[in-house]
Amino acid sequence: MSRPAAIVFDQASIAYGRVPALEQVHGTVRRGEIVALVGPNGAGKSTLIKALLGLVPVASGSITVLGQAPAQARRLVAYVPQADTLDPDFPISVAQVVLMGRYRRIGWLRPPGRADRDAAAEALAAVGLAHRAADRFGTLSGGQRQRVLLARAIAAQPEALLLDEPFNGVDAVSQEALLDTIKTLAAGGAAVVVSTHDLGLAQLTCDGICLLNRHQFGFGPPADVLTPDLLRAAYGGAALELGDRGLIVARS
Amino acid sequence: MILLTSLGDGYVRRALLEVVIVGVLCGAVGVHVVLRRLSFLTTALTHATFPGVVIATLLGLGLVLGAGVFGVLLVAVVAALTGPRGAEHGRETTSVTAVVLSGGFALGMALMSTQEGFSRDLTAFLVGSVLTVQPSDLVVSAVTAAVVLGMLAALRKELHLAAFDPDALAAAGYPARRLDLVLLLALEATVVTSLPAVGTIMAVALIVGPAATARLWCSRTSTMTAVAIGVGVASGVIGLAVSEQWNVAAGGAIVLSVAAFFMTSLVLRSLPWGELAVAVVGRRKSAGRPTYSG
Amino acid sequence: MIDILVTPFDRPYMTRALVEALLLGALCGAVGVYVLLRRLAFLTDAVTHTVFPGVVVGFLVSGRSGIVPGALVCAVAAAALFTAIAATRRVNEDATLAVLLTAFFAVGVILISRQHSYTADLTAFLFGHVLTIDTTDIVVTAAVTVLAGLVLLGLGKELLLRAFDPEWARATGYRITALDLVSNMLIALVVVASVQAVGTVLVIAMLVVPAAAARLLSERLGVIVAVAVLVGMVGAWLGLATSYEASVGHDLRLAAGATIVLVLVAFYALVTLGQATRRLVRR
Repeated sequence: MSRPAAIVFDQASIAYGRVPALEQVHGTVRRGEIVALVGPNGAGKSTLIKALLGLVPVASGSITVLGQAPAQARRLVAYVPQADTLDPDFPISVAQVVLMGRYRRIGWLRPPGRADRDAAAEALAAVGLAHRAADRFGTLSGGQRQRVLLARAIAAQPEALLLDEPFNGVDAVSQEALLDTIKTLAAGGAAVVVSTHDLGLAQLTCDGICLLNRHQFGFGPPADVLTPDLLRAAYGGAALELGDRGLIVARS
Repeated sequence: MILLTSLGDGYVRRALLEVVIVGVLCGAVGVHVVLRRLSFLTTALTHATFPGVVIATLLGLGLVLGAGVFGVLLVAVVAALTGPRGAEHGRETTSVTAVVLSGGFALGMALMSTQEGFSRDLTAFLVGSVLTVQPSDLVVSAVTAAVVLGMLAALRKELHLAAFDPDALAAAGYPARRLDLVLLLALEATVVTSLPAVGTIMAVALIVGPAATARLWCSRTSTMTAVAIGVGVASGVIGLAVSEQWNVAAGGAIVLSVAAFFMTSLVLRSLPWGELAVAVVGRRKSAGRPTYSG
Repeated sequence: MIDILVTPFDRPYMTRALVEALLLGALCGAVGVYVLLRRLAFLTDAVTHTVFPGVVVGFLVSGRSGIVPGALVCAVAAAALFTAIAATRRVNEDATLAVLLTAFFAVGVILISRQHSYTADLTAFLFGHVLTIDTTDIVVTAAVTVLAGLVLLGLGKELLLRAFDPEWARATGYRITALDLVSNMLIALVVVASVQAVGTVLVIAMLVVPAAAARLLSERLGVIVAVAVLVGMVGAWLGLATSYEASVGHDLRLAAGATIVLVLVAFYALVTLGQATRRLVRR
């Protein structure tokens, strides 16, 4: 018995103006699955996540998120950006950041209520940072900030979770906490899409892999996609042959 | 064209010479202002030199001297407040710039309000009065222009590196902060020099406008500088001609010429071409931030 | 000492000036925090300058009563224009602001340069005249203050989200351009309300300086807003009292608007100095 599909790519191509950025993505992410987007720098991983959020239009083919067009599904989807794009001097507390995850549910003009604060506190506890709630966001380490952003996404109680390079420059403790939380969320029935450079991590923790470099090289279980042939094709010069012992991918 | 027929008058000839010198200077310096996104700082410098002018008038010194000395002081204050660890203490460049801007201007106004009778001079200073430029002003402009342009030419490659990638500059062992300071002083000198022509409030247009126009058309700094200088000089001359023709404030007319060049270029370049969309996408990733560190 | 702070305001014109200045102090303090968070100081500066031609045209058409409508039209147009420019992302935004602000200002200068009372009028527009404020002006300022309060309370959380993480706001389905239009309009209204009292150029100080000082004192947003409002109001009071005391008691005429700003800047300087010495002592 297979679980219901959450995200469906149907020969989707994405372009900026007339310049194609990513072509022919085809595959399905089911509820409860974690799928990694892997590929070298500039492969189009961030572009695909933006397309899933409806921030860049699909040029041909289609992307369906929870049965709707991406822009219509935004309320059911939560996004975790890279923490280092945010201003560390901004005078905002960790609790306030997490509470932002509730804003769409609260709606315009209304202040956050008891239930929203509780949900935010619970989400912060889930990433193991309940004790830092009152601290300023900028005083946290990079890994802790990333966890706070994940907590913000969880507070929105999403049915699909999108993460853009959450493990970049993150300490071991934070990486462990991030992975645990993501797995818990997936076990609860959410579909998770995470872009990453870390092939090893993707192989160990994900149910599916989408291998990209300007177009799709493979989409399926890790064992089927992370093969020397496909990796060599996707990574080109960045793939290093190690004789008969296999192949490693140098981080570009 | 009344400008041509009135060229026989000494004051019109001097005005024309002045706008040409200022146009060249502002165009060249403006390139760095635009590349480093220092427009707001430039605005602040133009406003905050105002008290220098008032003090100079009170003491009976030259306006340009007063503005110049005060300008150097301001550069020092901004540099000290936004030093390497300024942001950690809640002082980021924009707010410091705004505080210095308004503080300087308020000081000038308070000083001015204590006096009576010289508001005429100061108004000229606020909005410019190119038609009353004296031969001595011309000499000051010419000397400043020569020094600043020489400096820009000599430090050409270092300044370009500083604008493009300040971290690489520091990593290569250059004294990055001192270089920033030199650029700020050159900027201040330019502001002070262009005061007689367009006044404190509008000098920023003459500095930023031509370079911003050039930025829309050029991708190399050398051509950008040439175009900026051309636009700067052309705006000055056209503005002067308009002012003579219809008897309106020369400073205002010059600024509107600059704005006309810029807006026309902007509209022409905004026509939806694919290549622009690519450029926009590329730019989003490298978050635009002021590269001023001193 | 208390006398200096209280007695001047027995006079009706000083009472009006005080009410206006206190309202502005509170209004600018609160809105200024948002200006600070979004780093909109330059945009605010641009709006203050673009209001100038509106002020001039309004004055030419129907005298003093035309100033606020004229400024309002220009400010709203400018706010919309700046929002559109920011939304296109095609150009170097701050360079565009610099050119536009000076261009608008130049239109004002050209219009006014055709007048006989050129200098006197220009000075009044640039520097404001809080001491000759009338009840209508106070009503306008009070209305803007109430409106700003409603907007900040109602849309506070959305504006905070937009300031902190615009990409995420867009990803969750908020329209950034719409939010920016609201905040830019708000800034434009504050500028219009302040023009009569402190003039076009010093509005920026009323907006930025209290918020910047409050940011130095606290890292908590709620505290920053409260402190900024307080600093704005106290600065307005002290500034007016100082200006009055200097001109009546010591025969030294100090422009009221400029004195308010100088008091605010002095406070900012004191806080900066205090923190610097504290760090030195700790070391």
